[in-house]
Amino acid sequence: MLTLDRNLLHRFGLLLVILFVGLALSLLTDTFLSVANFTNVARQISINGILAVGVTFVLLTGGVDLSLGSVVALSGVACATFAHPGDHSVFVPIAVGLLTGAACGLVNGTLVTLGGVAPFIVTLGMMTIARGLALIFSGGRPVADMSNELTALAGDLFGIPIPMLCFAGVAAAAWFFLSNFRLGRHIYAVGGNENAARAAGVPVEQVKLFAYGLCGLLAGLAGVVLAARITTGQPNAGQAYELDAIAAVVIGGTSLAGGVGTITGTLLGVLLIGVINNGLDLQGVSSYYQAVIKGVIIVGAVWLDRRQARS
Amino acid sequence: MLRALELRKDFGGLTVLHPTSIDFHPGEVHALMGENGAGKSTLMKILAGLYQPDGGQVEWRERQAEFTSPHDALVAGIAMIHQELMPIPDLTVAENITLGSEPCSAFGLIDRPAQLARAKELLGELESDIGPTRLMRTLTVAQTQVVEIAKALGRQADVILMDEPTAALSDHEVASLFRAIARLKARGVAIVYTTHKMDEVFRLADRISVLRDGRLVGTAPASELNPAKLITMMVGRELADVFPVRLPSSNEVLLEVTGLTREPAYRDISFQVRRGEVVALAGLMGAGRTEVVSAIYGLQPASSGKICLNGSPLSIGNPQDALTAGIGMVTEDRKGLGLIPALGVGQNITLSALRDFCRGPLVDHTAEAAASQTQMTEFAVKANSTSQPIAQLSGGNQQKALLARCLLGAPDLIILDEPTRGIDIGAKAEIYALIQKLARAGKGILLASSELPEVLSLAHRIVVLRRGSVSATLDAASTDQETVLRHAMPL
Amino acid sequence: MRLTPRKAVSALLAVCALALSLTCVSGCKKAEARKEGEIHIGFSSRDLSAEYTAKMSEAIVAYAKTKPGVKLVMVDAQSDVQKQFSQVENFIAQKVDAIILNPCELEASTPAVDRAKAAGIPLVLVNQVTKSAGDSYIGSNDFDAGRIAMEAIAKKLNGQGGVLMLHGIMGTSAQLQREAGAREIFAKYPGLKLVDHQTASWDRAKAMALTENWIQAHKGKFSAIFAHNDEMAMGALLALERAGLKKDVTVIGIDAIAQALTAVKEGRLDATVFQDAVGQGKGSVDAAILLAKKQPCPKETLIPFQLITRDNLSQFLK
Repeated sequence: MLTLDRNLLHRFGLLLVILFVGLALSLLTDTFLSVANFTNVARQISINGILAVGVTFVLLTGGVDLSLGSVVALSGVACATFAHPGDHSVFVPIAVGLLTGAACGLVNGTLVTLGGVAPFIVTLGMMTIARGLALIFSGGRPVADMSNELTALAGDLFGIPIPMLCFAGVAAAAWFFLSNFRLGRHIYAVGGNENAARAAGVPVEQVKLFAYGLCGLLAGLAGVVLAARITTGQPNAGQAYELDAIAAVVIGGTSLAGGVGTITGTLLGVLLIGVINNGLDLQGVSSYYQAVIKGVIIVGAVWLDRRQARS
Repeated sequence: MLRALELRKDFGGLTVLHPTSIDFHPGEVHALMGENGAGKSTLMKILAGLYQPDGGQVEWRERQAEFTSPHDALVAGIAMIHQELMPIPDLTVAENITLGSEPCSAFGLIDRPAQLARAKELLGELESDIGPTRLMRTLTVAQTQVVEIAKALGRQADVILMDEPTAALSDHEVASLFRAIARLKARGVAIVYTTHKMDEVFRLADRISVLRDGRLVGTAPASELNPAKLITMMVGRELADVFPVRLPSSNEVLLEVTGLTREPAYRDISFQVRRGEVVALAGLMGAGRTEVVSAIYGLQPASSGKICLNGSPLSIGNPQDALTAGIGMVTEDRKGLGLIPALGVGQNITLSALRDFCRGPLVDHTAEAAASQTQMTEFAVKANSTSQPIAQLSGGNQQKALLARCLLGAPDLIILDEPTRGIDIGAKAEIYALIQKLARAGKGILLASSELPEVLSLAHRIVVLRRGSVSATLDAASTDQETVLRHAMPL
Repeated sequence: MRLTPRKAVSALLAVCALALSLTCVSGCKKAEARKEGEIHIGFSSRDLSAEYTAKMSEAIVAYAKTKPGVKLVMVDAQSDVQKQFSQVENFIAQKVDAIILNPCELEASTPAVDRAKAAGIPLVLVNQVTKSAGDSYIGSNDFDAGRIAMEAIAKKLNGQGGVLMLHGIMGTSAQLQREAGAREIFAKYPGLKLVDHQTASWDRAKAMALTENWIQAHKGKFSAIFAHNDEMAMGALLALERAGLKKDVTVIGIDAIAQALTAVKEGRLDATVFQDAVGQGKGSVDAAILLAKKQPCPKETLIPFQLITRDNLSQFLK
């Protein structure tokens, strides 16, 4: 009962912040509250959303993944390289993108578990390695000339943006996984107290490897979606994407120390960041002020939230 | 000098401390007694500024005091030694002792020689020879405890709150601590003290306050009480005999350990545990008890030696292997190796045996909830619900939940490392009864314990360790404390 | 952290190994270096992942290879001012005969130029200027690019209508001058209105998201988008096409990258402004060689911009 109440309160607080920001925006601009704009926000948050869901798993185990943005670029380049019209079926570039991401994630996971290197260092290394590989494979230039079948991934299905459907699917699966799979429970246990989890017979190394691998896989998916959206594989895409993703997860109440957090919280965090970005653009706020306002809202939301959690 | 006035504390709608008023006087040792969950630790934590009361107030030197953090309390002159140790493992002993009150030279630089001298002086007061330059992480639990005590002494506090300071200490160290307390008393320091050890209370305390279920039962001078009276006050009923009767074991060998070695911790350890038998590993602090049982459970595998269960040799590389083979363990280090603090009690209980409540990879929530509810009832774990975070429970309830976790997987061999450390008499009795019940059911029990009365009355056989080697294997029925101690003491 | 003897020893070993490998690397380089009369040129490129810069940098490397006795080393600053500064410092330490610098930024890259000057090594700026002048500048006047692009928009709209502007990274000389050029045209045609302007940092994904938001905010109030480069123009184009609005909106970018040319050919992008990457590249190598030989070299060589539309496209496609 107690935890339930607390979670409700927690989400309620964050929802309140989102509603407040939304209300302010709809009073300030007549275009914020429209179906078209909601689809718009949905399309724009999809990539950050997919990344945030992935990194939620890693943060829950008490780790961190700083390589997301670079892995997005590398997967996008890998995907675009195989996506020239008439070369392969559309599934090949998608699979290549996903596998590239998963491979990066598994390398991260292996170094963290078997290598015993701190996640911060491992993923920092992967951040520059993946960026370098993206530049090598693309020769430094955007990989263009992608088939229409693949770029259609950024289009709509029954009026709903496909990236949004991907995000929704990923989030729903992740939520179901964390609350219903044994491995999901193990992720919380490992993040809550790694030594105790090991003593209780939880296969800690496998659990972590899975979390990093999944996070990489989803970064690969984000890379494919991004490439489809901008119709090229850009080796310099995705700069600092990991920071937006981690910010969203932390706003959503996931502890950086691990063991505490939910996918629904992450969704709300992603939504808040998306609404801020969209609303400030609609308002025509100068990009200098945008940066400041965004930072203030992010820190403010987390502060309010933690204050509430304490009381 | 320090006064609790109608203090009240709620946790998640449950009142853990009903309005309680107690006065503490300078130069007096005031013992707080009560079962686990009685509210002793909560009361202490409010006095130390760690918790904020939900009602009532703290009076300090005749004035209302608002301690919003432990720092406030420290500045006012109230220091606390915590039950759960909180060292910073990668700092040295001296750095830990002077943490927050580092002696500084000009320019705010830490004066290292003064820091070392100060640490040495404080450790000397406790008659301890721990080197001040050692890293905290290299210390044993007992040594860590000594350092924590030294740290509190160094605060020059007027009130020192001691929450079970002797839980991990050897008799020799306890004696040193008591002499230090006597000196503090003479200096006019007020000591607030909790413990579960009866003999300590009557050796030490001037006055005793008893709490039960979050209520103050009464306060009386120690001279007006005796152990029987005190126990009655604590549990609300007469406790006839804490130790149940031992039953004979079978002849079927369950566990056979041969030549287990991991230098320098232990070497050539061999013994057997039969079905229905309780075997105790006894020995002084640092004799290697925890290390040996940890090896059998796979927490820290031995470098050589053989472990056979039911006659078949096992290769145990990690706890998973041990659990699969049918070996369960409740570790000594509840906080570090037991609890997943943020998970619910229920989820903590089912963690090891979660596979049994799954369909494929999916958790069957109904079956899991039923199992954890059953375990909570059976082991008398007091909690609001199965989903209450285990961190919010009292030490005794946490321990019972961990026992429930261990036994949910129905292991053949159960390893218990200091199962009654830091828990009250009532819970102790429950755990003793449980051990007997398990033995009756044909399980084998390997008990590592530093409490000799416990070892002597529970175990069938006692394997005594001395500096990492087996010095004797004794029949519990025909031995006594002196014999065990003689084998345990270094020659 | 405490330094145990074991840690200290391993740290020491690591440092030794590092020093050893460094001496080896530089030693090996020295072995093959410096034949008499050979000219060494160091070239720091702003960012090889930007298509225009990559094209220009390739031209520089290729053209230097055709010159006998010239050895050119290229490094990539990845848009990082700090990194570029240390690259220039490395060139100075290696005592190259001339440096070609493709600066990251107008202000922040200035110290690197000053450092080379102080060391007495001739420095050629290419494509972008800095506050301190180099010994020679090869580039095109970005002011003209902004003017040419906006002028084309003004013609297309008959001097009437709303315009959105996508800035490059704020504070880069290209962004500042392209904006200034465009503003001059706004002053000339009072009927043109700047509805909104915002940076998308030269980035396609950012430009796309920004344009999507603008479509929500300003639908029907604008009939042209001017992007400071083609990457952003492509992003804006994708957003407009997805919203089915492209037919009502003119989009023009700058740089004439391959994808933009294809888009012009397909009739999707209205125009781009050609900046002669190869011309700039060749010019900078020529200038560097002249300076290295201590021969006179013009202070500034401007290579003109040209507007590319569907009509004159064929002469730019090879």
